[in-house]
Amino acid sequence: MSLLSDVLVILLNGLQQGAIYVLLAVGLSIILGTLKFVNFAHGALYLIGTYAGLFVALNVPLSNGKLAEWGFSSFGLDIGFFAALIFVPIFVFGVGLLMERYLARAFYDRPDTDQILVTFGLAIVVQELFRVLFGSNSLPFEQPERILSFGSFAGLPVSGPIALPIVGNFPQWRLWVIGITAVLVALVYLLVEYTDFGLVVRAGTRDAEMVRLLGIKITRPYIVVFGIGAALAGVAGVVGGPLNVVNPTIGTNILVPAFLTVVIGGVGSIAGAVLGGIVFGLTTAALVSFAPAWSQVGLYAIAAIVLLTRPQGLLGDEEVSP
Amino acid sequence: MAGLAGCTGGGDDSGGGGGGGGDDEYPALGNFPIEGDTATFGFNVPQSGPYASEGEDELRAYELAVKHLNEGGGWVDSQFDDLSGDGVLDYTIDHVDGDTATDADQARQSASGMIQRDDAIMISGGSSSAVAIAVQGLCQNEKVMFMCCLTHSNDTTGKDCVRYSFREMFNAYMTGQALAPVVRDAYGEDLQFYQLYADYSWGQTQQASMEQFMTDVAGWEQIESVATPLGTSDYSTYLSEAQSSGADVLILNHYGLDGANSMQQAIDAGIDEDMEIIVPLYNRPMAEAAGGAIEGIYGTVAWDSQIDNTPSQEFTQAFRDEYDRTPSGPAQLAYAQTLQYAAAVERAGTFYPPEVIRQLEDYEYDNIGMGAETMRGCDHQAQRDVPVVQGLPASEQSEGTYFNIVNITSRDDLGYACDAGPAAECELGSYE
Repeated sequence: MSLLSDVLVILLNGLQQGAIYVLLAVGLSIILGTLKFVNFAHGALYLIGTYAGLFVALNVPLSNGKLAEWGFSSFGLDIGFFAALIFVPIFVFGVGLLMERYLARAFYDRPDTDQILVTFGLAIVVQELFRVLFGSNSLPFEQPERILSFGSFAGLPVSGPIALPIVGNFPQWRLWVIGITAVLVALVYLLVEYTDFGLVVRAGTRDAEMVRLLGIKITRPYIVVFGIGAALAGVAGVVGGPLNVVNPTIGTNILVPAFLTVVIGGVGSIAGAVLGGIVFGLTTAALVSFAPAWSQVGLYAIAAIVLLTRPQGLLGDEEVSP
Repeated sequence: MAGLAGCTGGGDDSGGGGGGGGDDEYPALGNFPIEGDTATFGFNVPQSGPYASEGEDELRAYELAVKHLNEGGGWVDSQFDDLSGDGVLDYTIDHVDGDTATDADQARQSASGMIQRDDAIMISGGSSSAVAIAVQGLCQNEKVMFMCCLTHSNDTTGKDCVRYSFREMFNAYMTGQALAPVVRDAYGEDLQFYQLYADYSWGQTQQASMEQFMTDVAGWEQIESVATPLGTSDYSTYLSEAQSSGADVLILNHYGLDGANSMQQAIDAGIDEDMEIIVPLYNRPMAEAAGGAIEGIYGTVAWDSQIDNTPSQEFTQAFRDEYDRTPSGPAQLAYAQTLQYAAAVERAGTFYPPEVIRQLEDYEYDNIGMGAETMRGCDHQAQRDVPVVQGLPASEQSEGTYFNIVNITSRDDLGYACDAGPAAECELGSYE
């Protein structure tokens, strides 16, 4: 195998592993940058997104948990993965709105530690609720065979290996994960950078008090920002679900890498979240290839180096003093 | 408390003594003598972490065992003549459970609490050899018996063995012995293999045993062997490396959730089109999570409900009656180990640990669904048959049926002498 193919494989694996973290980090980052709210329940939103994705897309047999005991031998609508990609973000957006209105808003002016405690507590409650309902057993989230099939159009095949030039066989779904992430992040970027809504949000990030003095009700954009962040976590759950088996701990496990991505990229910066995710994914993939024993340590080392040299992250803005 | 019990001696006659054994005959040791008329067992299983699915099924089986010990039913009625179904030695059995979180430190703390706070007379549990080894070491120090449940590392009854621990489960060495001839016949000789292994006690000895037997028995050559951290969720880069190595066979020494993930991701990447895949140690929750990805993949299992003999059928039925689900291999281990301990207490006529240990050492039995077995005295490792299985395609899977049993490898074709293999490094330690 040539060096070129090695590099390409690392690049693709790195981009794919980073993609899920990018989706999570963009949501985390805009909530943290705009609302100054540390949302440790972001992983729980990913968890909700994954199970909601299972529910919409597939019909999964259940052999465990209260649902099974109550006589639900299976779980799901089995109406396809594309439907899940539409409905789940809308649903998790709604969850995000409720969370902002009834939980986060009360904690905006309180210390970070309070925010961390309440959201981490919420995350544990959600995780245990799913454990009670579905049991600890893992559920298979099978990759979609095809998406966009309607009428006589069979749709696009998205699962199984695809033979790429130079690289060889590569799991096709992982390429789709990269593509879907790129499209969604671009949409959020356009929304924040090129719309009036985005202007208010960005202004609020710099100086919320001044925005209020200009007569803008900033609570409305805030709740929408929270909803968008939640929806991105939901999408991450849907597209990331088929990459692993699914169980109630996936939300907690993904939280630390997502925060590291934000730290590396810079709080509040969408481009930073993307860069952080790419650095994260490529570092992990390269270390696994060349020094597997260091694959987990290396990431923390990079985060530490970034924090020491650029405390605001690679693309984060320096804090504006009041 | 263990410490206090050790200081106070067995002088009083407040119901202690452990039934049958006189206090003068058996001095206080660990949590012996038992105070009151209830004996407490501690079940220390992973209720979170990568092996949580296995832990959940183990706990069901432990609770069923306690129920049968107190009320009769299952093997207590049919397979264990030593047990009455009216408690053990006139003591009612109670239990406490803990969460190891698939982590050795947390498991040790949890077990310590059961010994110190709950006065557990016996601890059982496992799912992760690192956990089992940590807890059995603690139990040896505290002089409380540990009945291993799911632990497959060679070290458990090899270099880390202890007098106070017994293992029904076979080990990685025996898995290698059982699998090598089967995969050699299936895939041929002169192949090259690549290994990924979980980077802790079990994975390391599993990797070494597969290297030994695939090389010596199957005549294969190892190209490379790569450690992966326990709890890895994305194996894609590891798998890409394996795929590009040019090897003919990929051996995935992963278990539980990790095994389900690595198997599924290997199939998604199309590795099965280029290489044969082997997963040396399987179980039912893992197969259930991996779905159709297990199709055609060889491995070994602790036990399977399809094994056709009377004890297996009876256990499956009793478990189904209680939980309306088919038991997994780890569940059978949990149930069997609890009853084995209780029966040894009855034979000893006391809960005094050294006497119970002597009842288990070199004990021969044929009542837990795996044929004739011996719990060997020299290393406390059960000498028993090993089931070799092959995963079924998704279309042929149903609840409780995920494998085709290819071979029940006889214990006569497995194992090693007391001065050879993993046993050569075992020093059991003291009885008292």
